[in-house]
Parts: sequence; C-alpha cells; structure tokens
Amino acid sequence: MNNAEAKFILQGYRSNGTDAGDETFGAAIEQAGKDPALGEWFARQQAFDRTVSAKLEQIAPPADLRAAILAGGRVTAAGAPRRAWWTHPAWLAAAASVAILLAVTLALWPRSAVAFENFALADAGNSATHGGHGHETGEFQAMLSNPATPLTGKLPIDYATLHDKGCRLVQFQGRDVLEVCFNRNGVWFHCYVARKADFPRLAIGSIPALAELGGAALASWTDGDHILIVVSKSGRKNLESLL
Amino acid sequence: MRDMPSEMFTQLVDAHYAPLFRFALSLTKNPADAGDLTQQTFFIWAKQGHALREEGKAKSWLFTTLYREFLRGRRRAERVTALEDLGPVEADPPAPEVDLLTGLDANLVVQALQEVDEVYRTPLTLFYLQDLSYKEIAGMLEVPIGTVMSRLSRGKAQLRAALARKEAGARGKVVPFQTPDARKLS
Repeated sequence: MNNAEAKFILQGYRSNGTDAGDETFGAAIEQAGKDPALGEWFARQQAFDRTVSAKLEQIAPPADLRAAILAGGRVTAAGAPRRAWWTHPAWLAAAASVAILLAVTLALWPRSAVAFENFALADAGNSATHGGHGHETGEFQAMLSNPATPLTGKLPIDYATLHDKGCRLVQFQGRDVLEVCFNRNGVWFHCYVARKADFPRLAIGSIPALAELGGAALASWTDGDHILIVVSKSGRKNLESLL
Repeated sequence: MRDMPSEMFTQLVDAHYAPLFRFALSLTKNPADAGDLTQQTFFIWAKQGHALREEGKAKSWLFTTLYREFLRGRRRAERVTALEDLGPVEADPPAPEVDLLTGLDANLVVQALQEVDEVYRTPLTLFYLQDLSYKEIAGMLEVPIGTVMSRLSRGKAQLRAALARKEAGARGKVVPFQTPDARKLS
C-alpha cells in the first residue's frame, strides 16, 4: 500500500474513533504510524474532521421539533395497521382455512373499542377542521360545557335531531358519529357520540374506561343507547375532572 | 400508546432526531423543510418501521428513509450521475487552518457543506455526523464501498474550498461603524 492508497482509505476513518476496530483501516493506520509525512497528514485530517463534526453538532433542531414528532408519531401509530410476522404470505396461506372457521365465531364475538378510540384520538388531533352549527348543537355544547352536568349520567341526547340539524358528523366504520367540542374551565374537550345500535358488537361498559396516548387522554363508556368518547388533549387529570 | 410502546418511540426520537435534522438540513438547505423531512421520517417509522425485527438497525433505517423521502420529494437530478465522471480530486486543496475553522460560526460551516455537490454532500454529511460507518453509508446509498470513499474524498475537497471562501469572507467583512457619535455626524 502506498501513501496515496492509505490516504484514500484513511479519509473514511471517523474522528471519534468509532472505526478503531475496523480491519479495513488497520494497515493504513499502521503505515501512518511508520511514515511521518503520512502520519502528519492523518493528524491534520482528523483534526479537520473533528472540528467539522463538532460544528455540525452545534446545529440545534427547532425547539418545537421534538414535541411535534412525538405528538404526530403517536397519532400516526394509532391509525396505522400493524404488520407482524404472521402477515407473511406463507403464514397467511396456512391460516386461511382456520380463518374461515373463526369468521363464524368472530361474527358473534364482542369487538374491542380500541379502534374507535384511536379514531376519536386521531380526529381530535385535527381540531382545525372541526365545527358545527345550529341551535340544537349549541344547546348540546352548552350542556356539555356546564360544570354542573355530570357526563357519566344519562345525558338527554337527541341523536337524530343533532344528526340532522348541523352537528358535526364524522364516519367510523361507515356509521355516522356526532362530534361536539366543548370547553370547561378554559380547557377544550371533544365529545364523540355514536348510537349503540350502530355498533352492536363493540365491547364497552357503562363505567368510563380511561386510556392515554402521549399527552392525550380519553374516556369511553355507554349510557345504554349511545357510545360516548371524550378526548382531552390536555391530559388525564383534566379529563378525570369531568367524570 | 397501544400499537407501539410510547417509551420506545420517545427514546428513538431523543436518540436520533437531532442528527437526522442536521442531515436533512444539509440536503434541503432549509430549516423548515429539514424539520418537515425529519418529522415525516419518524411518522413513517410510527406507521411501519416499528415492525423492524432488529431494533439495532433503527438508526440506519431512519437515515435511509429520510434520504429516500428527500429523493422522492425532489426527484433525482440527472446531474447526479454526470458528476461521477469528473476528473481526479485536487490533492489537498487549500483549507483554513483548524484553529481558524474552530472560530467559524457553525452556520457558516453548514452553509459551506451545503455548497458541496449533492452527490458528495450526502455521504460527507453522514460521515461528519459520525452515526454511520462508511459501510453503512454504502448500504444506504446502494453504492460500493469504494464509491463512498471516493465521494468522501471529493466531498472533502469541495468542503475545504468552500470553507476557505467562507473564512476569507468572514475575515474581510467590514463591520459598520455605529457608535452614537457616528450617528450624530451622519
């Protein structure tokens, strides 16, 4: 190996020493130890590289970038289908026959509310698009905003009227769900109301179940006729104060 | 977080978002675009990357994804391949002394890096971020190891030249005379 070849290799050697164990550099480093001119060149090169790396290290990301990534990543994950080992085609093929048998059972099995909750969280995270209108919606919003209204009691919800007269509608699994934003003590919440009859196999209890996702929290329950999900982007404590 | 451990995602973000942002900044030359690209990379991870079976490969995956997203968004310039045919690298072109370089503002160094042709800038930035080895950079860019070494060599030559220009510019910069007395006289 001549010095030109050694230089060609050594300029790929990271100045933080991470490559010390890499055999590719071994002979070139040994040669730099024996040849003073090459050794001096390598020392200069490393000092230069170290300085540039240090300068790059000084570049700070925008202050709000980390928080934005964490919040957005969680919403994305909530809406993302998971790909697991069993999604491999071979396993899928093997599972196909079993699936036929399971399908009959599953058709009658209660379904988890997680998907619905994730849907509500994702929608609440995009509140810039929210809004409704109409007298009935205003009254419903005022009732929810009233600190004296216990949310977990039997709320006088006129689903059909709210549905037809301006309440914001979102669709989950092909069914309409009402969404109303309300404010209590300066904190905004999002209330989602679905007819229980539209989701007959959704496993959901009458006692509010609390869940957290990043900084957001939600509570889901049923009053017998409706499924209610309330989302708070300001944390669990604020949500618990409603219940 | 039910679909992905929240703690794991936070750890991943904390470990890599800053170097990813710096890499994105060198590619996009714009902090806002770099921020978007960094976010987009983590969102893709949140959607599909956490299915990676070897967590140790997360770093390479993130850098590779960010780079691919950058290329996808910009459409690869035809010039990239043409640059491979340039002549031999200038032997040790003039560069500012390390102590002068140390005194340069970090933003100026980044600007100099951004003046390096993209085909060299990408591996060079990854090299200086020190997160990936030359082998990992080769894997990410899907080029032979020798090509990475060659691009590092050319990239460093261009960086030295750009730094020398920045350093000369910073040294020759005239500072406006703005004392209160001067304002009175003008």
